[in-house]
Parts: sequence; structure tokens; C-alpha cells
Amino acid sequence: MSEYIVEMKNITKRFPGIVANSDVSISIKKGEIFALLGENGAGKSTLMSMLFGMYEPDEGEIYIRGEKVQITSPNKATELNIGMVHQHFKLVSNYTITENIIMGTEPVKKILGIPVVDIKRANEEVAELSKKYGLDVNPTDVISDIPVSTQQRVEILKMLYREAEILIFDEPTAVLTPQEINSLLDIIRGLRDGGKTIILITHKLDEIKQVADRCAILNRGKLIDILDVKDTPTKTMANLMVGREVSFTVDKSPANFGEEVLKVQNVTVINQNKLKLVEDASFTIHKGEIFAIAGVSGNGQVEIADAIAGTIPISSGNIYLKGKDITKESIKNRVESGIAYIPEDRHNCGLIMDFSLAEDLILKKHHKHPYSDKKGFLNASEISNHANLLIEREDIRSGQGEKTIVRSMSGGNQQKAIIAREIELNADLIIFVQPTRGLDIGAIENIRKKIIAERDAGKAILLISLELDEIMNCADTIAVIYNGKIQNIAPTHTLSVNEVGEYMMGVGHNE
Amino acid sequence: MSTIILNGLAFSLPLLAMALSGIFSERSGVTNLAVEGFQGFGAFCGAFIALVLQQSMKGSDVPYYVALIISFVGGALFALIHALMCIRFKANQVISGVVINIFAMALTAYFTKYLNLAVFGASSDKFVLNIAPKVFGLYTFEYIIVAVVAVAWFVMYKTTFGMYLRACGDNPQAVDAAGVNVAKIRYIAVSLGGGFAGLGGICYAYSISSNFSSNIYSGYGYLAIAALIFGNWNVMPTLFACFLFGFARSAGYQIVQIAELPSSYQDLIMILPYVLTLIMLIFFSKKTHAPRALGVSYDKGSR
Repeated sequence: MSEYIVEMKNITKRFPGIVANSDVSISIKKGEIFALLGENGAGKSTLMSMLFGMYEPDEGEIYIRGEKVQITSPNKATELNIGMVHQHFKLVSNYTITENIIMGTEPVKKILGIPVVDIKRANEEVAELSKKYGLDVNPTDVISDIPVSTQQRVEILKMLYREAEILIFDEPTAVLTPQEINSLLDIIRGLRDGGKTIILITHKLDEIKQVADRCAILNRGKLIDILDVKDTPTKTMANLMVGREVSFTVDKSPANFGEEVLKVQNVTVINQNKLKLVEDASFTIHKGEIFAIAGVSGNGQVEIADAIAGTIPISSGNIYLKGKDITKESIKNRVESGIAYIPEDRHNCGLIMDFSLAEDLILKKHHKHPYSDKKGFLNASEISNHANLLIEREDIRSGQGEKTIVRSMSGGNQQKAIIAREIELNADLIIFVQPTRGLDIGAIENIRKKIIAERDAGKAILLISLELDEIMNCADTIAVIYNGKIQNIAPTHTLSVNEVGEYMMGVGHNE
Repeated sequence: MSTIILNGLAFSLPLLAMALSGIFSERSGVTNLAVEGFQGFGAFCGAFIALVLQQSMKGSDVPYYVALIISFVGGALFALIHALMCIRFKANQVISGVVINIFAMALTAYFTKYLNLAVFGASSDKFVLNIAPKVFGLYTFEYIIVAVVAVAWFVMYKTTFGMYLRACGDNPQAVDAAGVNVAKIRYIAVSLGGGFAGLGGICYAYSISSNFSSNIYSGYGYLAIAALIFGNWNVMPTLFACFLFGFARSAGYQIVQIAELPSSYQDLIMILPYVLTLIMLIFFSKKTHAPRALGVSYDKGSR
């Protein structure tokens, strides 16, 4: 028997217009944590989808435990003890944890010869399994009531219930908070120590550094190198992954504040359930200032952005843009008077997924000259020229240029498209909500530079982010929000990371 | 009072069987507006067989029971057209449903006339049926429907198949990932649903008019769909919605009779369940939760 539990040899996979994997060979040892590192669109997920039977390779061979195999379906992969936690969980939302875990291999008892799900036994089995691997879940909780991190545990338990030995994690930390990430990494280590083989798809270097034994780096579908993680500096991995030198800190010149652009005065937002999401928030943002709101997810920061953009109503308070009260203005009027908005949920609020890239790029000005004329007809050639200009300038990569359906583009390029479109509006205030979420370091660096460039061009920037290092790196002024209340507003250089962290937990408030 | 209850039950229970048709189909993720078409075609098949058997078995209840079975089978087979359109060909499920209703109406109207002439030598647009047998004042089909609904409930909530069925309506990707064939589950669900509707249809043919014609079943399919929506796609609450419709209707008729109103008022009473539907919509719309994957054809490739 071979030393390797998984061997993928000379794998090539082509999709229309793109070679997702080109002659990639990797070998994974039993009981190691093997990371696949690469930017979005580098071909990591495609490679693992082939191991899990979702696609079949066009060329190349796969060996499991030394035997050549054809993995034609996820069922076949399950038979080979391969399990995968997908980036988008495959859970039935109105079922309990147990029901989700057992579905497909459920214990059955016969009542009058009819197979009936033995839910009691299943609950016991799940409880036992969750105890054995230290994955704390309550088997009878319903999926729609539990947080994302617990849903992820359910996905992991699903694999373990099917006796998977080779566990593939596709970007498992993208949806988690920092604390949850740490506990997930502990779980992954625990699984390895229990003899499982782990394959971790990620673009986050620090996670690889923390848990992985070896790491394969992919760039644009090609295997760049396979490295021992502990012997390789993070910087080297980053450079290999992006294919050029990257800097982790953003260079920025001292801020030069101009006149006031946005004034938020005693704004309170109450939702349908009468919950105060934002309470009495007041702040101002000037020209040439990056004003960041830091906070743990769900503390009201996104609602502040939405309230300014006009997508949710406010209960009391006022919002002024360049001295003009816009509290009651429509969204369209706010856009016209100079607000650009990069929303948190790029799929639902930022883009129309089934439109072409060219069409998505003219949203918000589609009704204006030269994109449409007075009679309301769209001008196809202008729209297409505009798209090609932005694609060229912002390096938006896609399969078929301006005609690409946005849904088929990678997350990083979708975000590039939104940012390109919003900056093109030439608004005085640009709101960025989680602009780098789920993106790889190449794209993150690019976006942060862009934010700072806009500031230097005299724009007022509102940046809302869950990434503390992003805020510390980019912001000129930091507001910290906790439980809907702004705890503190101060210039960045007067604050330490720890202080911001304390305010984020609401500690600073009690002093 | 007892007339109201008896008539109400005779109307509610077939309606429940038809609502069950929608529940099975929709909980598996296939929109089903074709309840009425399944009802009509199933009832047509059953009524025709009953009529054939009635010729040789005068006074026997056997044709009636055979008709119930054949209606179920006919509805189930007819529903496969809808299943094929929605699952195999990924057609628009709303259009498929509506077209099947119109198709069934035209088909049964034509064949009822044609078969009457060709087989029985009569020129009529209806199949005249025997009176359905009663036990304790209730039609025997009412007991049968209660039993069928009980079994259907058990299958839906307690068995492996039912678990897959409901999961298909929420997240078919999860079902696929669990190694279960989504299309197969949906075919069975839609087809079984067709059977329930067919059964409901023949029961109406027996209870309302003791005959089958293409115009006895207009509107009830949509009423059944309204009932299942008020019932939030669950069997038990749907049962209550059906009772409400049934009793509203029978009480209305009773009022017309007691008050000795002219018979044209009966037509007014016919609208009662629908008016009730409109009123209930106001209150229930916010609380209903359709299955998440309802109406979305499952595509393995999509993420």
C-alpha cells in the first residue's frame, strides 16, 4: 500500500472558456492536514469537487489508498469514505440536527412491515457522536434556529456519521467570527489527532500557518508548489499564491480633512419586532476622511449604513448630506445627491445575478444619457463600451468579457464590478460594508488601496468591517459600536487594537 | 344541525383528499395547481369503470368500490404528465398545472360524450352513477378518506420516504448530498398526489350529484389549494381548513332552506367558501411558510 491515502495525478479540467485545473498532481498522507491555498478562481474548489465526485476530470487519474478509482458521484465518494463540507451548507432548514445528519443512512425500525425512521435511536447516536468528537450540538434543535457555526458542526457530523476518513473543508472559516474560527481550528486538529485526513481549502494564510502540515499552492489552475508549512514563512506563501510581491500593510499618507460631508444626528433604528438595532447614533464624516465603524457582527453597524443609504427607515434622528437634510429622501434621490453604496450582501443587494456584466455595471445610471435616450431605449453600444472601459481599468476577470452572466463570476470579480460601478458614480460619500469579505489577499490588498485612493481624491468614506486589522489599517477615525450604541469615536492613532476590542465587547462602556 | 354536519363532512373530506394531493406534491417542491385536473381525470376513469360494471351488477356496491380504486390509479397516472413536465423537462410549474386543468376539462368532456354514445348508446354528457352506500349516515368513502389521510400523514411524517419528501421541498441539494434521488422522490410524490385528487374527485361525483360530468369539478381544486395554504402545507391544520369550508357551505344551504328563500339563493351560497377564502387570506397571508424550494426545478449543477 502506498504511503499516500489520496493521490491525484496530472488532473486537467476544462470549463467553457476557462481551464480550471491544468496538469495538477497532489498526494496526501493519511492523518495530515493538507491545505490547498490559492486566490479565488485558482481552481482549488474545482480540484476538490473532482475528488468528491461532483465533476469528473477531463484528464488524469485519482488513486485512493493506492487503488485507481473513478469517482462518478458524491455517493461513490462517500463509499470511499470521502466527505466534504461545502461552502454553502446543504442542510434542510426545517429539520432537526439529527434528521439532517441521518438523512440517507437513517436507522430504521419496522412498524407493521413499514420502514419507520427510528428517531429516538438516531438522537442517541448523534449525541454520542457529537460527544466523541467534541462537537457540541443539541440533536433536537432545528437548523433554522441555530447559528451558522453550529450548522457547520452539523455538516461535519454528517461526514463523521457516514464514517468519512478523508474530510474536505471548502473555505470553512469564511462564514465564522474570529472566536468561532479558533474553535473550528481546534476541532480540525482534534479530527486529525483522531486519525482523519483533512483537506482544507482556503485563502487565509494565518489559518494554514496555524493548523496545516503541508500546503499546495495553486495559481490560475496550475500547481505552483507543495510546501511544508512550518518551514515556510507566511510572506513566501503569499507571494507564491498571488504570483507577485504583496504587502500586508497599506501605505497611506496622513489624512487631510476637508469640509463636512455626512452628518448623522441621534439616529435610532427600530425593527418590526420593536428591537432597537441602532440607538441614538451621531457622527460626522469629512472630505478626505475614512470613518470606520468597528464591532462584532450584528451590533447595528450594517443598519447604520442601510439607514444612510435609505434602504431601511429610521425611527428618529436626522441624516444630513452636505448640509442638506436627506432623512426623508428616496433612495434614488440619495444616489443623485451623492451617496455610493457597496452593500454587504453582494448577491442580493449589489448585483442582479442573471444580468450580464455590462448591464450590472450601468445600474444606477441606466436611465441616463448616454446609456438610454429620452424615449427610454437602451443604447447597447454605449453600455458595452462603458463595460469594456471598466473591465480594462479595474481588471475584472470573467469568462466572456462584458457578456458574462454575473452569477458565473468569482466572488472577487463580482466585488470588483460593484466597486468599479459605485466609484464611477463619483459620489461625495462612499459607503463600504464588508468590502473584502470572502476575498483573497490579492483582491483585499487591491480593494484597500482603492478605498484609500478615493479618500485621497477627497471623498468621504464610511467603512464598516468585521475585520479589525482592516479597520486599524485603513481608517482615520474609528467608531466602535456595541449593542446598537456607539461606544467611542476617536482618531485611529490614539487607539490600540486592544482598546478597540474592549469597546467591541462593551467593556469600555462600563468604566 | 345534524344535516349541516353530515353535508359538511361529505363536502370537506373529499376536499381534504384533494388538498392532500397538493400537500404531497408541494412538500416535495413541485408547485401543484393541477389538483383539479387530477381530480377530474381520476373521477372520469372511476366513473366510466363504475358505469361499465353497473350494467352487469345491478344493485351491487362493487362498482362503487372499484371506481374509488380506479380513480386513484387514473389520477396517479395523469399526474405523471405534470411530474414529467416539471421534473424531467423543467417546465414552468404554474403553466404546466393550469394547462393540465384545462386539458383535463376538455378531455373528459369529449370522452364522456364519446363513450356514452360508443359504449352505452346514449347521447349524454354525464355518466350517471348509482347512489353511494352509507354507514351510520355517512358515505363509506368518508371513512375511506379518513383512513387514507391517516396513512398519508404517517408516511409523510414518520417514514424514511416522508422524510426525504419533505426535505426535497426545503433543500433538494441536501437530499442529493445524502445520496437520495431527488427526481424519484418528486415523481412518486406528485403521482401519489394525483391519486389522492382522483379519489377526492370520484367522491364528489358520488356525493354532489351521483353523476360524473366535466362541469361538476370546477373550482374545487383551487379551493383545495387554498385549504392547504391556510393549513401551512401540514396535514392536520389543512383538515381544519377543509372543515371550515365544508361547514360554511352546508350551513349556508341550510339557511336558504330554513328561511325558504328562492332556490336562486343557493347559487349565492355556492360563493360562500370563496368569500371565506378571501377573508381568511387577509389574516393568514403573513403567517404562511411555503416550502423553501417550492417551484424550483432541481438542477444538480447549480450551487
